[in-house]
Amino acid sequence: MNNVRAKVPLVLLVFLVVELTVLDRLRVFGAGPDIMLLLAVMAGIVGGPRVGALFGFAAGIVLDLFLQTPMGLSALVFCLVGYAVGNIQGGVLRAAWWIPIVTTLVASVAGVLFYALVATVVGQPHLVTTHLLVVAAVVGIFNALAAPFALRMVRWSIAGPERAYI
Amino acid sequence: MESIRRGARDAFAPVQSAANDVINPVSDFFGGLFRYGHLKAENTRLRRQLADARGKVNASSNDERERQELLALQKLSFADNAPTVAARVVATSPSNFQLTVEIDRGLPAGIQKGMPVVTGAGLVGKVVAVSQERATVLLLTDPSFNVGIRFSGSGDVGVVRGNGTRQPLPVDLVDLGTKVAGGEIVVTSGLQGSVFPPGVPVGKVRAAKVPPGSLQQEVSIDPLVDLTRLDFVKVLIWTPKAATP
Repeated sequence: MNNVRAKVPLVLLVFLVVELTVLDRLRVFGAGPDIMLLLAVMAGIVGGPRVGALFGFAAGIVLDLFLQTPMGLSALVFCLVGYAVGNIQGGVLRAAWWIPIVTTLVASVAGVLFYALVATVVGQPHLVTTHLLVVAAVVGIFNALAAPFALRMVRWSIAGPERAYI
Repeated sequence: MESIRRGARDAFAPVQSAANDVINPVSDFFGGLFRYGHLKAENTRLRRQLADARGKVNASSNDERERQELLALQKLSFADNAPTVAARVVATSPSNFQLTVEIDRGLPAGIQKGMPVVTGAGLVGKVVAVSQERATVLLLTDPSFNVGIRFSGSGDVGVVRGNGTRQPLPVDLVDLGTKVAGGEIVVTSGLQGSVFPPGVPVGKVRAAKVPPGSLQQEVSIDPLVDLTRLDFVKVLIWTPKAATP
């Protein structure tokens, strides 16, 4: 199977199901991993800014369907995170093995903080607290641990012929 | 937008149930393995508590009657009379920024947005979204949650505000003259227009003090319900409109 159009939605779906059924139980200091954000970061690393932005948007919008926050908030944030990671880190894949992991850690922490900031702007003023730092740290560490695995899945999904449609 | 979200949740419901069927036994197995001693101790403790509670029920039936009479006297409708829908918690929030749980009953059961959710111990939260198969409950501890309360001792009122998981809940607008006792139970005030019926237990006073120069007391409470380990809840089929005489 070498069809990007089938593989990308499949990866999105797998991540979504895992996020909604398994990871919602996993809580450390009241915070858990955010693998949809991880997906955006991975896509940025693997495919550059364009792929990162598209993947981030898609991951965010499907997650938004299951949240109470304004529709499109995660989509906007993840899209920008994917784009930023793609710009800074796109193409470092062939560098040392730990670079994607560190990138994920930093990008996830930044993504969570950015999410809280955008949420505040669109009228969700309860997010910026000291607990936010705990959440950012937990998400960063969890996502970094999951990075090598997620990287492989994302690379597999977009490794079509010439990444035709993205 | 609402309907798209509703559709997505309904479509996902069977997947979620299937996943729960697979994961629950596994996590229960490991949970039981690692916490055997704890469970055994808990069992003994619960048995003792049950015996105590049985005794107290007898003692309190008299108080309960008096309370009902008082409520009737004040023409307050009490939540006890409202029909309830029992539901099971099937998932918690996927987000780190929203303290909600998903329950396995929805519109067909008569659940609507805004309805209060309780357990036997007290208030859990309120329904913020409903679809055919699921309803989403915003927990008491979510920072966007507010509920008007009354101190059971003095009858004075205040407003409880969510403050995040496992954090004590601050009570705002408590008058300086109000006498607040540690361990006192606070209940929903159910003042006119409130989204909750009166008399639902919310929490227990943890601390109260008057900061120098302040115009209100600094009171915090602990929720009566362990919101991190919810299993079964009840939705009160109650809306503010139904309560107005």
